[in-house]
Amino acid sequence: MTPAKKAFTRRGLVGENRPTLWLAPLLAVVTLFYLYPAFEVLRYSLTNASLLKPDYEYTLSTFTQTLSDPVLYGVLKTTAIFVVASIVLQLILGLVIAVAVNRASKRRLPGRVFMRSLVLSAWVMPGVVIGIVWAIVLNDADYGLANLLLGAVGLGSVPWLSTPSTALASVILANVWRGTAFSMILQYAGLQSIPDELYEAAEVDGAGKLQSFFYITIPQLRPILMINIILITISTLNTFDMILPLTGGGPGQATEVLVLRTYNVIFQNFSLSGGAVLAVIMLLISLALTLAYRRLLRSEGTL
Amino acid sequence: MGLSAGVLVGPALTMTGCGPSNQLVALDRIGKEDASQGAEVQLNNDYTHQSSTPSWAEGFQKLFTNFAKDHPDWKLSLKIIPASQTTQEQARLLEEARAGRAPDWANVDSFVVAQFIDQGALQPLDQYFSKEELDGLYPFVREIVVGDDGKMYAYWRATDVRVLYRRKDLVPDAPRTWDELIKAAKAAKQKDSKVDGYLFNGGRWEGTVFDNLAHFWSQGGELVDDKGKPIFNEGENRTYMLNVMNFLKECVDSGASPKLVATIKDYTDFDTAAQAKTVAMFQGGDFEYPVLKDTLAPEDLKNWEISLLPTMNPSDSKKTGTGGWTMGAFTDNSQKLKMGAAFTDEVYVGEGNEVTGQLPTNPQYFDTLSRFQEPVYDTFREALKYGKARPGVPVYPEISNQLQIAIGTVLTGESTPEEALNKAADASLAAYKQQQ
Repeated sequence: MTPAKKAFTRRGLVGENRPTLWLAPLLAVVTLFYLYPAFEVLRYSLTNASLLKPDYEYTLSTFTQTLSDPVLYGVLKTTAIFVVASIVLQLILGLVIAVAVNRASKRRLPGRVFMRSLVLSAWVMPGVVIGIVWAIVLNDADYGLANLLLGAVGLGSVPWLSTPSTALASVILANVWRGTAFSMILQYAGLQSIPDELYEAAEVDGAGKLQSFFYITIPQLRPILMINIILITISTLNTFDMILPLTGGGPGQATEVLVLRTYNVIFQNFSLSGGAVLAVIMLLISLALTLAYRRLLRSEGTL
Repeated sequence: MGLSAGVLVGPALTMTGCGPSNQLVALDRIGKEDASQGAEVQLNNDYTHQSSTPSWAEGFQKLFTNFAKDHPDWKLSLKIIPASQTTQEQARLLEEARAGRAPDWANVDSFVVAQFIDQGALQPLDQYFSKEELDGLYPFVREIVVGDDGKMYAYWRATDVRVLYRRKDLVPDAPRTWDELIKAAKAAKQKDSKVDGYLFNGGRWEGTVFDNLAHFWSQGGELVDDKGKPIFNEGENRTYMLNVMNFLKECVDSGASPKLVATIKDYTDFDTAAQAKTVAMFQGGDFEYPVLKDTLAPEDLKNWEISLLPTMNPSDSKKTGTGGWTMGAFTDNSQKLKMGAAFTDEVYVGEGNEVTGQLPTNPQYFDTLSRFQEPVYDTFREALKYGKARPGVPVYPEISNQLQIAIGTVLTGESTPEEALNKAADASLAAYKQQQ
């Protein structure tokens, strides 16, 4: 028995080499602030609890009512379009900007820090402010900023928010504007970690810029891209603060995503249990997507 | 500490509420820190010395200071609710009241106050206000704040009212009916192609339902029955609601209103349009008049006139939606009740209306307060006679949510009025059943 193992045995649970002691604060924080609230949400989803009544019963009826509500499937479809379009656009635009900034950094071009700061400013802005700003920009009236610009170049006004399809596209646009910065940061960090030798070797072998990009940059970035996708997915699924001031979920229910529906069910309908069911559905979707991405990463040998 | 450091740190400490205990008003307190008696009061940010409107903040700072001077033995601890959280906070307040953890006094929204009364959360206030004062309140106020036992459970201290704004050069005469309104809007557009004839709230927010409920009420419609069950899709109510939906649809289809009304969810859109001279008429609130007064050139302001809302038929009764905030008491401590009533009376009733410009709930104040002496306030005073508050039943927020969706889908052409109304009624009834 090694000396370390002896100490471990004598001191038992609180020995300095036992993980219990130094894990305890973390476990306490995770239990108190993450597991307990999550457990409460799950518990409320199995009740008929309302904000209006102190008493409630355990039942599965809230689940069956929520799942049999046809509105839910419309909301899920809107959420899916919103999330998928946001992820694809944020990834592509984030990568394009990251590559541009990375090249500027390597060539020490002036203005590269300004460029990074400019992109980051969108990310640090609160969602509510972004919603209000885009509501002003995309105002359907001729004096709306976007329509003023279109008018200045001789194009007609666009009904950005008043028709269901353009309203959803407008919400995606605003979300991509906000989220691209985060995507750019991660991918820029990934690009910085790719050794220059790989590109030099490829150049010696006669590879062009596009070949280097697809055969060196993308494979090297894959782990970062996957982490990026997971984080973007979760943050987009939770986007609520920006949509509320921008469209409120309208016109009709054209831009009502799952998290906004959850808010409405709790604060308009006062149904704590109904909101909890929707929160559980969101949790399951997030978990399923995360597991799928993880499996994808493993299968490609990057994790 | 040197003098210069003291000069810098002193105001900073006061601003953060950590100032000396003899400060009469701190960020979270009215009265001296060491006062012998205390009460907790929950207020919306707008109605405090921290309001984002500088004139309101300054006005309430003065009123709070005067109150503290007049009641030196009392300290009111303030819980201030940000403007963006008032809706959620009302639900939370009700929950706190049920658990016995509510503050002694609080701002309660007039459209949920009936729920608080039904749940027995509020204390009667009759003995703390004069009979004259209570009898003088507008009927729509008494309808809401007086319980089944005839006692008054909250003091509704400020209100607002929906009216029709119009540019006289484009619409010389106030339309009395919906048909006249559409005709006038189209005529205005012909006179000036840059203007929208008639704007109204049609986006996904409470204002869309609240404003347009006047058209439903003026026909005699009722949203809920005595038990609070949604009945707006039953019998004559269904006809009345369909009339409203068809009227709004006709406004858009005829070109009297632009399609963008489906996106309007803020009264400031009307103000912006008025400033840009791109609207002939809009349905707005009295609270927009001070904004127009501040932002329009005097000759442009003179061109705007305010009238009561048109009705479907000339013989229909006038109706208009009224909202606003009340003060309600959760404590059963008689001293705290008395002090809270004095706080309401001395800070918010009359004086507070003077600070904010929000309309008084007792017509006598229109005679006495200097702020309400312009002729336009005669119109608002007249409109308040036809005021009607939203039903204070638990299912109302969901009815509103569903009708917002219905109006939105009708305006964008996604649904017919019948389809939209049926869906809204089904969802509202389901919510009602779930709440039982």
